[in-house]
Amino acid sequence: MNMLTRKLIAKEFYLHRWLIIGSTVAGLAGLLIAAEGKVRFNIGMLMWLTTIVAFGIVLAMFAIANERKERTLQFVLSLPLSHGDYVRIKVVGLLLCFLVPWFILSAGAVTLIAVMPNLPNGLLPYAVLLCGFFLANYSLVLCSALHTASEGVMTLVIITTNMGITLFIFMVGALPSLNDHLMDPAPVWNSTFWTVLGVEAATLVITLSLPYFVAARRRDFI
Amino acid sequence: MTPTKHIEMRSVRKAFRFFTLEDLSLDLEPGQIMGFVGPNGAGKSTSIRLMTGLLAPDAGEIRVLGHAMPEAQALAKRDIGFVSDEMRLFGHATLGWHMNFIASIYPGWDAQYAKTLVKRFNLRPEQNVSGLSSGEHVKAVLLLALARRPRLLILDEPTSGLDPVARHELLSEFMDVLRDEDRSILFSSHNTVDVERISDRIAFIDRGRLIDSSDKEDFLERWRRIQLQLPAGATLPDLPHLVSRVDDGQFVTLTTNRYSEDLLAFLGHGVRQVQRMSLEEIFVANVMHHRELRGQ
Repeated sequence: MNMLTRKLIAKEFYLHRWLIIGSTVAGLAGLLIAAEGKVRFNIGMLMWLTTIVAFGIVLAMFAIANERKERTLQFVLSLPLSHGDYVRIKVVGLLLCFLVPWFILSAGAVTLIAVMPNLPNGLLPYAVLLCGFFLANYSLVLCSALHTASEGVMTLVIITTNMGITLFIFMVGALPSLNDHLMDPAPVWNSTFWTVLGVEAATLVITLSLPYFVAARRRDFI
Repeated sequence: MTPTKHIEMRSVRKAFRFFTLEDLSLDLEPGQIMGFVGPNGAGKSTSIRLMTGLLAPDAGEIRVLGHAMPEAQALAKRDIGFVSDEMRLFGHATLGWHMNFIASIYPGWDAQYAKTLVKRFNLRPEQNVSGLSSGEHVKAVLLLALARRPRLLILDEPTSGLDPVARHELLSEFMDVLRDEDRSILFSSHNTVDVERISDRIAFIDRGRLIDSSDKEDFLERWRRIQLQLPAGATLPDLPHLVSRVDDGQFVTLTTNRYSEDLLAFLGHGVRQVQRMSLEEIFVANVMHHRELRGQ
């Protein structure tokens, strides 16, 4: 990683520091609320979930779409980098920016389930899959923001990915081989778990690679 | 050895749905200030985006500081300071943060010069960019470009929207940059007063085509407006290099782009007045003449 790449990734962290900190704090607050008992669990987890998803959308929109809209993209592209460098730095930088709160909040959720005596550890595989889905979902939004300048298309992507979360919660949660073990005292890491995790990983790899083959090769950048 | 041209464009073409930049050839030598003049929508910004690698040409060749564009833009941009009136800094960061950011990327960053510019432009490094006025914002962007001491400054309408005092300050800074003979500036504008003040070479562009390019002094020497009074019943023969002719009874006003003493002698005693033309007048006459020639 060269000096310019490091500086530009550090720039992403600096410019979005309050968003990263604020989202982490809000997500942790959700987990704290969730730890206060069965009734508050749903409220807290909803807050946790909303925070991670909203953070991903706002980060991608601010860092890519707004950079284009607010015309700071011209300033960035006046620096000694190619279009390919720009795309590579955006993918890596914004993935790292997302990973910080995502990792803390995912680890927090997993710990909460593992530690809380009234929560069955059978929920752990589902929680891990849900966290993996958030990451894959973010990578899809990031990939879309790098490929389109259209606000309409981005709105469609955001609506679709948000609907995807609801679908994931109900459809994956309803898979018998997962659902049957949710209340088990010990987690069951069966083939369905690994298949869903594999699909999430494949989505992540595809959506994070696509910009290198398409957006980075665009000859006209503005 | 011939020094590398700072900008070389050869037969460049770039087509959009409603606009085409056609057959653009342009050279900028080290140490030159080129005024790139054209009306709104003439193709100035498109040309500059091609020079800076933001756009790729459909045909033709572009080399900037010896590097092929857009392929080698990362190398070329190490020595280019590019400022556009459309360019914006990060609103939530301070000017000081931007200065540190650029200083950390460009080894040639001149911290002392940056401090001088901060004072001269009356800027406050601790202020958030979102709080700057539009004039201050342009100055901040220029500061960031100038203090990295680039070999080539490319300025796309940098003075548009500035008050006369701010424009004067900026133009003085551009002159200062050229104390080093190896540096050059391409300065696009539709404000011919600014261009006339600082440029030593002028290129006129209109409707996607370069219509004329020459040294500023050459333009000012070649173009004249000549007022004639013809004797009753006399007619004026066809003259070469006539850009326009306006008849008003016995009086005729001619505009030529090849003024010479020979022409004056040919016109004889009927000449009442010979006027030098400002760059703005030359620009307008040139544009209208080329539009007529192209039947537009």
